Amino acid sequence: MNRLAILASSLALACAAALAALPAAAQDSLAKIKEKGVLSVGVKNDYKPWGFLEPSGKIVGLEIDLAQAVADKIGVKLEMLPVTGANRMEFLKQGRIDMIVATMGDTADRRKIVGMVEPNYYAGATNVMAPKSAGLKKWEDLKGRKVCAVQGAYYNRRVSQLYTPDLTVFPTVPDALNALAGNNCVAFLFDDTLIVSTLSAGDPKWANYEMPLVSEDPQLWAIGIRLEDMDGPLGKIVKDISTDWHKSGKLLELETKWGIKQSPYLIETNKKLKAAS
Amino acid sequence: MSAGATDLPVLLPYRAPAPIAPSGLAAPVLLGGGTFAAFAILFGASLALAQVTARPAGEGATTVLLRWAPLIFQGFLFNILISFLSMALGTLIGVLVGIAQVSLVAPLRKTAWGLTQFFRNAPWLVLLFYAMFLLPFEFRVFGLTIAFPAWVKAIIGLALPVAANVSEIVRGGVRSIPSGQWESAEALAFTRRQTMWMIILPQAFKRMIPPWMNLYAILTMATTLISVVGIQDGLTITRAALVAESRPELMIPMYTLLLLMFFAYCYPIARATMALERRFNVKA
Repeated sequence: MNRLAILASSLALACAAALAALPAAAQDSLAKIKEKGVLSVGVKNDYKPWGFLEPSGKIVGLEIDLAQAVADKIGVKLEMLPVTGANRMEFLKQGRIDMIVATMGDTADRRKIVGMVEPNYYAGATNVMAPKSAGLKKWEDLKGRKVCAVQGAYYNRRVSQLYTPDLTVFPTVPDALNALAGNNCVAFLFDDTLIVSTLSAGDPKWANYEMPLVSEDPQLWAIGIRLEDMDGPLGKIVKDISTDWHKSGKLLELETKWGIKQSPYLIETNKKLKAAS
Repeated sequence: MSAGATDLPVLLPYRAPAPIAPSGLAAPVLLGGGTFAAFAILFGASLALAQVTARPAGEGATTVLLRWAPLIFQGFLFNILISFLSMALGTLIGVLVGIAQVSLVAPLRKTAWGLTQFFRNAPWLVLLFYAMFLLPFEFRVFGLTIAFPAWVKAIIGLALPVAANVSEIVRGGVRSIPSGQWESAEALAFTRRQTMWMIILPQAFKRMIPPWMNLYAILTMATTLISVVGIQDGLTITRAALVAESRPELMIPMYTLLLLMFFAYCYPIARATMALERRFNVKA
């Protein structure tokens, strides 16, 4: 046997060993959650103000309040697991978490893998933050220019395909903001409500910055649960509580509590549901 | 009779001049002090800059840093724990594979060689991804559920390349023992296993220690890779702290704080490795 053949066979051996250990799907999640007494939720801890860390190590934020409300409704304790855009759906499928409340955009592709609970609890749109001196007027002005963005944001792909900016992607928001402040890019591609919050916070550093474009691509955010739970008891509970949040205006209250500008989507849905009842 | 006592033309053995090693205490201490001072100056400067550019209403950069330091340190300790456990697991597997690499049984030797080469030449992060996403999060054995959390998977993921490197260290250590040792042992009717455990490995052991420690220091620094797969290590927490503060000017001081923790831990290991290498050099 020559060395290459040995190498190939050991490689095959390693892969086979890895594949042999496949995850098992969970059945009747609600009963299981009640039995354990714990609802495991995947949350963000690096996306202020939806989910972020306190110096004590506690995770707080708008989405944490939502997750807590669901746990309270079921009558169990809340366990939070910090997730990233890359691993949250995997964790859910494996059963490591029961629910995702982690700034997850509701897209057709993801719906094939994860159950998206309606009504959606938030909607953001895409815009850029840029110095006034950059003189951006329309999205096409971004063509070929350096634009900072954050890893894993759903709008990165769409914007780079449509307007072909020279996209520089950073791991976190502060990294990207730092690059913008240091003139490493002409604009920062981000969620429009967060840009409004940043600009209106009164930091003199951003006094000469603006949100020059018309927000595009409204994107709904959804709570994610396993597909097989969508028609199960867990899906029903989450759906009901989500409707209730809209109707009672709890979501709008939470936006105010966490310093987010009230989003048009929430105001509209609140009106619609109130009129219907 | 000594060599100098005769005036006959005798060929004296050639002695190489002593190597100029940075031995003694002064050089390493000065060197280490210098590096440390450089980092400290960088840290202080970035802190001062952050202080100056802070918004008027904000708190001082030092206050913010001190507030987060305990949490970041906790995260750092988690890195150290991960490094310990993956080193232990990696060494255990690596020693076995390394001994298999010098086995007389051809299939065993070749399989061990293949595994070692594969895991030694695969990117650490890719192996980590494989371990994270292919292993289940819990095992069911006889109705008993054994949880298999992300950090355990990370330990396995990091232990794979460590094992391959340890395997090479063991193989190299065993091979570095002169063949005369094997032959003498055979002449004295030692079995192969006895020769390995009682004669070769004890001699090879001290030669394996420095590269092994070196590997450990590299592993410790590589543990920050686990932040990519979403485990709450020092780097993840530092990033989360930066997000929570929303003050980009704190970025460099915060990252430097974490860097100093790693440096303070890894640098003494590097020095000790060098000291050991020098010591064993003299004897060999």
